[in-house]
Amino acid sequence: MNGQPDQAIPAPAASAEPQAGRVTVPVWLFALLFLLLWWSMVQFDKTGGWFNEEVYAPYTSFTMVQDYQPIREGPDLSRGQRVFESICALCHGTDGAGKPGQAPPLAGSDWVNSPGVNRLIRIPALGLIGPIEVSGKAYDFPSGMTAVAPTRDMMSDEVLADVLTYVRQAWGNKAPPVTAAQVKTIRDELGNRSTQNTVKELQALPEEEAK
Amino acid sequence: MTESSPHEPRPLAAPGELELSCRLPLLVLFVSAAVWLVIGSTFFLIASIKFHSPEFLGNVRWLTYGRVWPAAVNSLLYGFGVQAGLGVALWLVVRLGDTPLLQRGLVTLGAAFWNLGVTVGALGILAGDSTGYENLEAPGYAAWIVFPGYLLIALFSVLTLHHRRVRPLYVSQWFVLTALFWFPWIYSTAELLLLQHPVRGVMQAVVAWWYSGNLVVVWFGLAGLAAIFYFVPRLTQRALYSRHLALFTFWLLILAGSWPEITKSAPVPAWMPALGAMSAMLMLVPTLAVALNVLRTLGRNYSNLRAHPALLFFGVGAAAFVVAGLVRGLMALLDGDPLVHLTWFSRAMMQLQVYGFFAMTMFGAVYCILPQLTGLEFPWAKLVRVHFWLALAGLVLLVVPLGIGGVVEGLKLRNPEVAFADIMKGTLPFLRASTVGDLLLALGHLVFLTNLVGMVNRFYRVRALSAYAAATADLFKAAEARP
Amino acid sequence: MNYGALIFLAAFFALASSWFGFVLTPQAQVGQLRQTNTVPAGELYPEAPPGLARQGLDVYRANGCAYCHSQQVDQKGTVCRVVLADPGTNQNAVLAALLKVREDWTEAQAKEAIAKSRLHVLEGVAKEAADNASKALKAAGAKTELWVVPVGPDMARGWGKRRTVAEDYLFDSPVMLGSQRIGPDLANVGLRRPDPKWQLRHLYAPRIEVKDSTMAPYRFLFEMRKIEHERSPDALEDLPAELAPGPGYEIVPKTEAKALAAYLVNLHMDAPLFDAPLTLPAPPPATNAAAALLTNAAPQSMEKPK
Repeated sequence: MNGQPDQAIPAPAASAEPQAGRVTVPVWLFALLFLLLWWSMVQFDKTGGWFNEEVYAPYTSFTMVQDYQPIREGPDLSRGQRVFESICALCHGTDGAGKPGQAPPLAGSDWVNSPGVNRLIRIPALGLIGPIEVSGKAYDFPSGMTAVAPTRDMMSDEVLADVLTYVRQAWGNKAPPVTAAQVKTIRDELGNRSTQNTVKELQALPEEEAK
Repeated sequence: MTESSPHEPRPLAAPGELELSCRLPLLVLFVSAAVWLVIGSTFFLIASIKFHSPEFLGNVRWLTYGRVWPAAVNSLLYGFGVQAGLGVALWLVVRLGDTPLLQRGLVTLGAAFWNLGVTVGALGILAGDSTGYENLEAPGYAAWIVFPGYLLIALFSVLTLHHRRVRPLYVSQWFVLTALFWFPWIYSTAELLLLQHPVRGVMQAVVAWWYSGNLVVVWFGLAGLAAIFYFVPRLTQRALYSRHLALFTFWLLILAGSWPEITKSAPVPAWMPALGAMSAMLMLVPTLAVALNVLRTLGRNYSNLRAHPALLFFGVGAAAFVVAGLVRGLMALLDGDPLVHLTWFSRAMMQLQVYGFFAMTMFGAVYCILPQLTGLEFPWAKLVRVHFWLALAGLVLLVVPLGIGGVVEGLKLRNPEVAFADIMKGTLPFLRASTVGDLLLALGHLVFLTNLVGMVNRFYRVRALSAYAAATADLFKAAEARP
Repeated sequence: MNYGALIFLAAFFALASSWFGFVLTPQAQVGQLRQTNTVPAGELYPEAPPGLARQGLDVYRANGCAYCHSQQVDQKGTVCRVVLADPGTNQNAVLAALLKVREDWTEAQAKEAIAKSRLHVLEGVAKEAADNASKALKAAGAKTELWVVPVGPDMARGWGKRRTVAEDYLFDSPVMLGSQRIGPDLANVGLRRPDPKWQLRHLYAPRIEVKDSTMAPYRFLFEMRKIEHERSPDALEDLPAELAPGPGYEIVPKTEAKALAAYLVNLHMDAPLFDAPLTLPAPPPATNAAAALLTNAAPQSMEKPK
């Protein structure tokens, strides 16, 4: 069969099944295997992020990803102002003075400036209905205030906190900021409720939220 | 394990008994595979031409590039690849175990299902029902037809192996048995997690990569290596150099090769590309083991390659396997992925593995099996060499320009000063060369199909003639007896 | 010894380990993702795409756009930028700190720098250097901002502001990341080409928008019809002579085309997340902000700070 130029294709001898020799695997192949195993483990150590699901190349470790996180210093007043002016100011006015027949003023309001935020947070979360007295003046709006931040999808805890902080520090108001944690606590408590708050109901609640 | 001298005749099966038991399913499998190969090559050619002339068949909705390309891949991988692989597996199981195939009718039915399923899948893709996952584009409804077909073929192959008369296992049987088990698991997992109960978000891409890697690297690797380790010793009438090396290859292929290679830019946590790179590096070892085994089996005297034309195919196939493995491994070692990811280079590598290694190996196997199966020679023996040269030229013209083009593209993409339009223009010369490659491959596959069909035609004609002669022998005898 | 059983066990073990490592473990990590919050704004991300865009994803899949376009962006590294937001009251201390941080500046340059508002003190430096500079300037009473800036060829090409991560694809089914860049990457195409009309014209005849494009025309997504009473608002306008329909006819995109355009215009993956930190320039006070903000997406601006 060897070296024979052929036109037809000869079928190999029908009964000649191949056999296998018994030469052992050469040592250098094993050595190469272990070398590659070692090297690839070194590479994995460098670039694999140790199976952490939040480490993406080019970051090489979780601490590195944490390191590069932008630091948030204090409440974002600009965002609070932006959101206020696009949503709340439609009724309360960009100057916080309120609009007759629509909304009471926020500037100088005792509801806004109260140290405790238990009542304040609930107002944008569920809205408010009923005759209300703001800093000595009486107001009554027939349909009350709708909930402008009923769910976290509509407005996250952080954004609502920023808005309330802005309201408490604008137009001469000087009240401490509202934190996202405080908003979260109140919202968790309110759960799935969708009915508006009544003024009487809020007045029955303590000003300070439960810790 | 008894130590027997090479090529000891085994008088257990009656002459022709083995061939008779598996001829029908194997003919169906191989001829269908050849037909799908031609269909796939045509689609690839159309896809390739569209780069030079985007208006080519531009207004035909079902031939838009995004549908023609997956249809081509589907035809190549499932229509040709898995069918040819199953055919070779069947043959090896029957011959090495010296046992006739069990239930060849059901196995043929399985092959028919497979073909029906792939047809439905290809048509579904062209109609716009592609799944969107690479290498698994056939719509879900096609999978329901294709999977039982595979199971029928695999089940009876495994049973035949179980009932084998020659108990000691040759290395190819390890590869083949594993391949038969491998596909149902990966295919059903992929279909379940991607189509029936889709997983969430980018996890879909992970499953798709896992499946794709297991199909192309492991399944095709197992089937192709089984053929190489069987036919090369057989045709050269020499013993396989080392059984231990072959099993070493087997273990590393299934352990390291089954971890998919994921590019670093993929939106998955960093550990996945890192493990993928590890697997590519480790695959260097079985690659070298195969190279050593095949080279030593051929011996120092490469004139052994002229013993049989099919050996040319196996030679190229083994060389392509080694080159592909080396390139992948080196790319992983040198961290070349950021340069060539998402460029033509990765396509070139895939074509090298599928066309260069797997298809060539299957061609060699078919050219060996069919003459034995039918007891005839190929009607146009010269065409075998024509096919070989067309296939080799096509392969080189397809893979090399795309590979170089990919690297050039990668270098330019790195440089933000180069406008994207210029990058695309820069790859056009390479694409032109690859289109020529596609054309040559398509011609080669046509030649292959012609030869196969010619042989099957001749076989059935011979059978019909002899059956006719047997049936009418009495009549003629009676006629001769009359004065 | 029953070798058949041994082989089966070997195959089982190998495939099981691969399945465990690459299917089960990622499912536990990436497969359980839920919407996350951007950092530091805390807005929900990603948002579910609008209905037409979701239909567009289907058209994208059916026509195999992912075979030419990738949707994944990579970054080579991350650098920092130190911005002097407010020089504060103690000019001399800030001057001294600036000169220590930027040894290459003269005093005149430093004084001029303080006068400019929102100055980039350091650009493209490592985190440690940026931290030190920031500390030094803060100690002098200035207000600084430390910006995190992803860098890489994809960023430089304008294909994205940061690398894409798993959360970006949460609502996509199927996720088509693509494997080739025969066409430009589309992960942030909604930022580059936000006009659906541009997308429609490009789909109809890519070469009128991109010279020498190799992209095939998708004219079968459009239909030519007679103008009844008046032109449809969707009709393609300003087509070149050889492509324009005859007088009295107009080219109108089918729903598929509109859906695809809506999908493309909605593609953007640039929200700063924990696993892909990024500092975006503060958006200007939005004029028509009500609509934008109620969808919880901060309006993004491409302009650099002054």
